[in-house]
Amino acid sequence: MRSVALLVIALVLLAGVGPMLAPYDPTVINIPKRLSGPSAEFLLGTDALGRDILSRLLHGARWSLGLAFVISVISMIIGTTIGLAAALGGRLADWVAMRTTDTFLAFPELVAAIVIAGLMGAGTWSLIFALSVTGWMRYARVARGIGLSVQSRGYVVQARLAGLPSWSIARWHYLPSLIPSLTVVWTGMFARAILGISALGFLGFGVQPPNPEWGSMLLDARVHLRSTPLQMIWPGLAVVICVLAINLAGDALRDALAQQDAPE
Amino acid sequence: MIKTAGGLLLRALVVLSGTAILTFALLWNAPGDPAQAIAMARFDALLTDEVIDQVRAEVGLDRSFWQAFWAWLGPLLTLDFGNSAVTGRPVWPDLWASISYTFPLAFAALGIGLIISVPLAILATKRPGSLLDRFAVGLASIGNAIPAYWLGLILILIFAVKLAWLPALGASTPAHAILPALTLGLGVAASLTRIIRSGILEARGQPFLPAIRRRGVSDRSVGRDHVAPHAAIPVVTVFGLELAFLLEGLVLVEVIFGRPGLGTFLVQAILSRDFSHVQAVVVLTALVFVVVNLVIDLIYRVIDPRIGESNA
Repeated sequence: MRSVALLVIALVLLAGVGPMLAPYDPTVINIPKRLSGPSAEFLLGTDALGRDILSRLLHGARWSLGLAFVISVISMIIGTTIGLAAALGGRLADWVAMRTTDTFLAFPELVAAIVIAGLMGAGTWSLIFALSVTGWMRYARVARGIGLSVQSRGYVVQARLAGLPSWSIARWHYLPSLIPSLTVVWTGMFARAILGISALGFLGFGVQPPNPEWGSMLLDARVHLRSTPLQMIWPGLAVVICVLAINLAGDALRDALAQQDAPE
Repeated sequence: MIKTAGGLLLRALVVLSGTAILTFALLWNAPGDPAQAIAMARFDALLTDEVIDQVRAEVGLDRSFWQAFWAWLGPLLTLDFGNSAVTGRPVWPDLWASISYTFPLAFAALGIGLIISVPLAILATKRPGSLLDRFAVGLASIGNAIPAYWLGLILILIFAVKLAWLPALGASTPAHAILPALTLGLGVAASLTRIIRSGILEARGQPFLPAIRRRGVSDRSVGRDHVAPHAAIPVVTVFGLELAFLLEGLVLVEVIFGRPGLGTFLVQAILSRDFSHVQAVVVLTALVFVVVNLVIDLIYRVIDPRIGESNA
């Protein structure tokens, strides 16, 4: 658990303070210095427009991690709402909600996101929309599953007998028992969102230039694979480190919760 | 059994029609003028309103949503994907040509994934917690975090640029398929290793194993006849997810390696707003995944009879 807390702090720091540590403006073009290798002036070199790669990388953290956070929270809200509606809303609502979930799950999420973002026109809003509407299904399944298992517990039955409205039962009696499992799903989806954002950025459907986003930095770097191969290493490495760290934190969290549940 | 199969089939039909309607609605409501985009892709020149309106009428974009939807769905039911809005050629031959590039690549990647992950998982679980086990888990975790497009670029850098052993761009010879297949295969191996490993560990913990051992059944037979089938259940379960993962990787890998497969086909279709191409890829993908999930559901009811019982 301590490692998870440390990691969250590290990522928040990276997105929050990282850009302030950047030595240069990430969008300033400096053609005479284009495609220069690592030096004392530019620690990681410059890209095809002479922009400082280290600065772009540090600012990119805010784009990639910030957007991934927004997307994973939006899809959590969508998914939890649908899952709880399925669990609380009776048989018809359950059937409709779960078949909708099946429909979205039947399709590879990233391919769906590519189609949606591509057709809506490249840009940050399409990116958020595309990855959110293709990322809520796991939350819905978990929320429904736990919702159904909570249904027969004493305090829920009592609340129902007391005549509380469904939304209030969902808010005060279901949500607290959902939070641990939803958090585990969230870590996984947060990591997936980082990968999705950079994949769409790499295809040119995501965050648009001149904004520094790791995937679109890779797209820029790809053309110069022969002349400055190092340029392509950094943004990819940043993605890998973040995703790996979040996945490991998610595993630790899941194990901790499993241990907590075990004695019962 | 027949009743469950019927239920699953009904569910598959619901999912398929849902996908068809959603895709069509998305295409129809996408911002920008699709007629203009199609005209641009066709003529690639300055366009007058007349030309755009002509294209609009020709492609059928001047109809109402439901008119256009039924006009598209009718032929689709007989597996006729219609003609491309941009080139005017029938969709199916072009689509099939791109699939013929994608299919072998997907199979090669699955093969590479299995060849690496199965022995690795078996070796790792010989002694859980050992150095080898931790090495395998660590490798798989790192592999899961590496995006396919980045791995692809690194492989190009090493094997095509630095060592000049293999070609990187295009699909003209079988050698061109090696790097893309490796890129995808390593990703598949990373996720399969984890799943097979935990499958074996869970199978080992089953309460019936000590009883079988006490009856004097050899270790070899315990592994082959009791642990292996049990460990196969989670692998079959996640096969659908694995296939989805593979397709996601394929789109990006084909773009990186400049292979004219299904992924490139899709990205091109999106960029040129070729309605019928986008729809064809989406519907075909949904069909494949619905069928795969249906088959998986049926298979694991057969290999694990307990699943049918608890659901009934």
